[in-house]
Amino acid sequence: MNMAATECLLQLYEERLQLEDYQSGVPRWCSGCGDNAILAAVQRLCRDEGLRPEQTVFVSGIGCSSRFPHYMKTYGFHGIHGRALPIAEGVKMARPDLTVFVNTGDGDCCSIGAAHWIHALRYNMNITLFLHDNQIYGLTKKQVSPTSPIGTRSNTTPRGAYLEALNPLTVTLGVQNVSFVAQAVDWIPELLYDIVKAAYHHKGLSFVRIVQRCPEWLPKLMDPWMHDPQKVQLVHHERALRISPAIAKVYKNHVEHDPLNMDRAREIASSTDVVPVGILYQNPCVPCYEDIRRSGGLRSADYVRRGLEGEFDKFTVWPEGAGEQQAA
Amino acid sequence: MESDLQTHVTFYLTGKRHGGQLGPIDGMALRPALLAGYRDLTRLRYDYPVVLCAQDGDGASVRPLSGLVDAALGQAGGGQDGERVRRHVLHLEEDIRKLLAEGAEGTLSALWDKAAGAQAGQGLGRVRAAIKADGELADCDRRLPARLVGHAWNAVQQRKSRRFAEDITRLIHKLNDILVADFVRSDAGKSVDVLKSGIGTSHQDSFDFDAMSRILRDSVHEVALPASRRRRVTQLLSVLESQRFCARTDLPAGDEADEPYAFAFGSCDAALRAYRERLPKAIELLKAISMAELEIRSEYHEAKHDPIFEGFGEIGFDPRDLSRFPDYLVCANASRMRGVENDRLAEIFSGGLPMKVLVQTDDLLEESPLGKGHLAIGLRAKQLASMAIGLSRVFVLQCPSSHLVQWSGHLTQGLLYSGPALFSVFSGAPEKAGTLPAYLNAAAALEARVFPAYVYDPSAGSDWAARFHLGENPQAERDWPMREFAYEDSNHQRMAESLEFTLVDFIVCDPRFADHFARVPPAHWNGSLVPVAEALAHEPVGLPTQVPCLTMVDESNALQKVIVDENLIREARTCRDMWYSLRELGGIRNSHAERLLAREKQAWERVRKQESAAPAVVAAPVAEARPEPPVESEPERSPDEAYIETARCSTCNECTTLNPKMFKYDANMQAYIADIDAGTYAQLVEAAENCQVSVIHPGKPRNPKEPGLEELQKRAEAFL
Ligand SMILES: Cc1ncc(C[n+]2csc(CCOP(=O)(O)OP(=O)(O)O)c2C)c(N)n1
Ligand code: SF4
Ligand code: SF4
Ligand SMILES: [Mg+2]
Repeated sequence: MNMAATECLLQLYEERLQLEDYQSGVPRWCSGCGDNAILAAVQRLCRDEGLRPEQTVFVSGIGCSSRFPHYMKTYGFHGIHGRALPIAEGVKMARPDLTVFVNTGDGDCCSIGAAHWIHALRYNMNITLFLHDNQIYGLTKKQVSPTSPIGTRSNTTPRGAYLEALNPLTVTLGVQNVSFVAQAVDWIPELLYDIVKAAYHHKGLSFVRIVQRCPEWLPKLMDPWMHDPQKVQLVHHERALRISPAIAKVYKNHVEHDPLNMDRAREIASSTDVVPVGILYQNPCVPCYEDIRRSGGLRSADYVRRGLEGEFDKFTVWPEGAGEQQAA
Repeated sequence: MESDLQTHVTFYLTGKRHGGQLGPIDGMALRPALLAGYRDLTRLRYDYPVVLCAQDGDGASVRPLSGLVDAALGQAGGGQDGERVRRHVLHLEEDIRKLLAEGAEGTLSALWDKAAGAQAGQGLGRVRAAIKADGELADCDRRLPARLVGHAWNAVQQRKSRRFAEDITRLIHKLNDILVADFVRSDAGKSVDVLKSGIGTSHQDSFDFDAMSRILRDSVHEVALPASRRRRVTQLLSVLESQRFCARTDLPAGDEADEPYAFAFGSCDAALRAYRERLPKAIELLKAISMAELEIRSEYHEAKHDPIFEGFGEIGFDPRDLSRFPDYLVCANASRMRGVENDRLAEIFSGGLPMKVLVQTDDLLEESPLGKGHLAIGLRAKQLASMAIGLSRVFVLQCPSSHLVQWSGHLTQGLLYSGPALFSVFSGAPEKAGTLPAYLNAAAALEARVFPAYVYDPSAGSDWAARFHLGENPQAERDWPMREFAYEDSNHQRMAESLEFTLVDFIVCDPRFADHFARVPPAHWNGSLVPVAEALAHEPVGLPTQVPCLTMVDESNALQKVIVDENLIREARTCRDMWYSLRELGGIRNSHAERLLAREKQAWERVRKQESAAPAVVAAPVAEARPEPPVESEPERSPDEAYIETARCSTCNECTTLNPKMFKYDANMQAYIADIDAGTYAQLVEAAENCQVSVIHPGKPRNPKEPGLEELQKRAEAFL
């Protein structure tokens, strides 16, 4: 059925926002930092999707990448280290009408915040998460992170990291209720944008690991991948990421992959010789926690007051005799 | 024998029983043989009675009693005493049917208890407990269509109205929030008294409210709500709070708003009058809802929106805008569908108004206004339905009440449809009661194609194939449905015969038409008596040599043969022809399709013949033409030119930091060379070297006097 007249009229007058309407301040990131590319892609998304600034929230933890909310002219919450997800979940639970994004670093998400990461995947709330994975603690000046490759020399591992790096993709794909997993690299802006967009449109927790360069502390780390287009493997499918001819001309290593095929997704995620770029897994049928637990009731001021008073009453110690008086 | 034929033919042509041989059928309680098995419906388990379930989670709000009992038996009827309990429960079910047939009324639980009486028992209680649904029991009688449709409508409306009320309540709260927030920010909101009341009594001494008020007033300067917005919000609130289209659920007791409107009516005229009367209020509310939605999102811009809402609803109005409002229900009877009522119905349908109209037909065999001998079989129902379908935006469901339970899904579909709907239902219970119970009569009408069942759903697609369904009609491929009939002959031998159920079988059950029939005593049964369906299939030329006859049974279940006059045979032919055209609409034996098919077949045959005559040629496989998607053409660049592959820029700020005049970002935050003269060739080369994605191409130097060019050009080579 097509739209009724009133609806048409109102849509006719919708506002269009420009990129500048989402920009706030000058990023304090080093020049050459991959976070800039992510910021540009996300601002483009906001503009193209017409996200209303007052209906959009960016939540982050601590780190270079977690400065992200400062640079968005939307609502934001620069949280505490590792706790971006619980805050974002609270926001979404209280205000399911808001669009919620999370920006988190590899230290923030995979180290101190690892517990929240696992459970957020299982809760599958409708949130879009960007893991800015520069494989190092950037803000605190070069300490090893769980995703640093073995042998990485850093201030905490002067002789090189001792352990194999953790793979955020395979970990994510191992958690119950996972519903969207993708990987992007900051140096292919077109694909970064497409993946960010697909993640935004997915209903559920969209986990996007973005391989992000930190020229300050690991300037050469990604060079082998950047300089050999064959080492970027484009994961495409008609129901997931589609590759434009311009991209196909530069990046010729393609693999077709059905985003519902979990086994294959895990296989692709485990690749070490190439960096897969695209949507590894997407299942639109996993229920969202906020929907399962939605109470439907309107949170009027009165409702909130009654709820709070009920809670406080549990802890109130009445002087002797006052209890009965209160009950009467 | 010759004289037998003459007597029969004379009756066939004139309807007169000459000579003593043919007998009248009135008073004999004859029935078509195919209905012999349905003498006592209370002993049969079928779709009726139904329980009009009061509250039902899974949406099925009408459940056959037999289905509920079966499900409960399946759940709780097992165990050692299983078979005994089963029989006991089925017996009880039969008793409930008898109670209803005797006119008892009430809920399932009430009638169950009444029927069970003193007889209790472990098993019975167990099964009873397993039946979770409860509600009024309804048998298939004249009241059934309105009860059932009304019940289903109620269920849909309640849900709809609850959602609507929630929406309105939400808007009221959010609008109030705007006013409350404004108050909190105002000087009055920061006054000593207000602050005090916010803290409560126990800790008042700990605060200096004067100081608090002063600080708040002096330090935070907030802009008050503009007067026009305050006026608008207040006005919207008053409209939303005084609306009567749905009952608000959140109001505390005693705080009653005005009585909500009723939406169920007994005539189209009354419904239409109410609709007209309320329309200005409806438009006002609709406008308030749209404005409030904008207002609470802070998207109401006076310059843009004032003009839209000022003229709102003035130049006509799309009824689809009312889709969130409750729908009207009209329960009307076909016998009163004349004159004004008829006009009103047409107005409702052609206006696309949100009304669901039940037109109940009780009598399909009214005499035509033309007088004796002319029948107008189901005329009014047919007229209404074809008018409604002709308007193409009306949902139409036609169904006899016998099959209404099976088709309750379509009923719900019609109720949910966002436009007018017509439910044309034959109750099977004419005023001048026939010999058949309503259920059987209704089912016979479907069987005899007098009242075929169909659905026309405009929301299902844009063509007839998607919209029109003939679903429930038995053996739709045939002119008349054919059934096996088994009996015992006079020598106690088992005999079987296939009988077709025609319009004439339907009519013979109605005593008003007894004159059109004559009983032939067994002694005169002969080869010139042919089944009605056979007679209908061959239109006779000249003087008839055969006479159509029905196979019937009397009260003692003895076989009888009854001949019929030509009048009714003519009616049956008309009825069959109408069935044909209905069938074509339903895509069954569609003449256009059949012709097309025949033509294609012929063409195919021709090609095949030619091919077998000519030597075989292997056709080259035709490659599937798949046009390559056009490659976005990058402009051809000369290596001398300086440029950036902007689409591949990863926004790293290197170049823009190096020389923000020379390198700038575009609307997507990707770099391009904004002014090549704003910097040196050395800077271009340096930027190219710093760009980690290597998308900066410095080209050839433009100023030959720039120092160190030779070395720079060497460095630039890598990026040309
Ligand atoms: C509870 C706590 N522990 C430790 C720190 C110190 N700290 C700040 S940022 C950071 C790591 C940041 O690394 P990552 O999350 O990868 O962000 P990046 O800077 O690399 O973007 C640490 C350990 C802190 N702020 N809070
Ligand atoms: S230290 Fe690394 S991650 Fe942090 S801003 Fe600089 S380049 Fe980016
Ligand atoms: S240096 Fe390259 S990637 Fe960085 S902003 Fe300039 S053109 Fe873009
Ligand atoms: Mg990091």
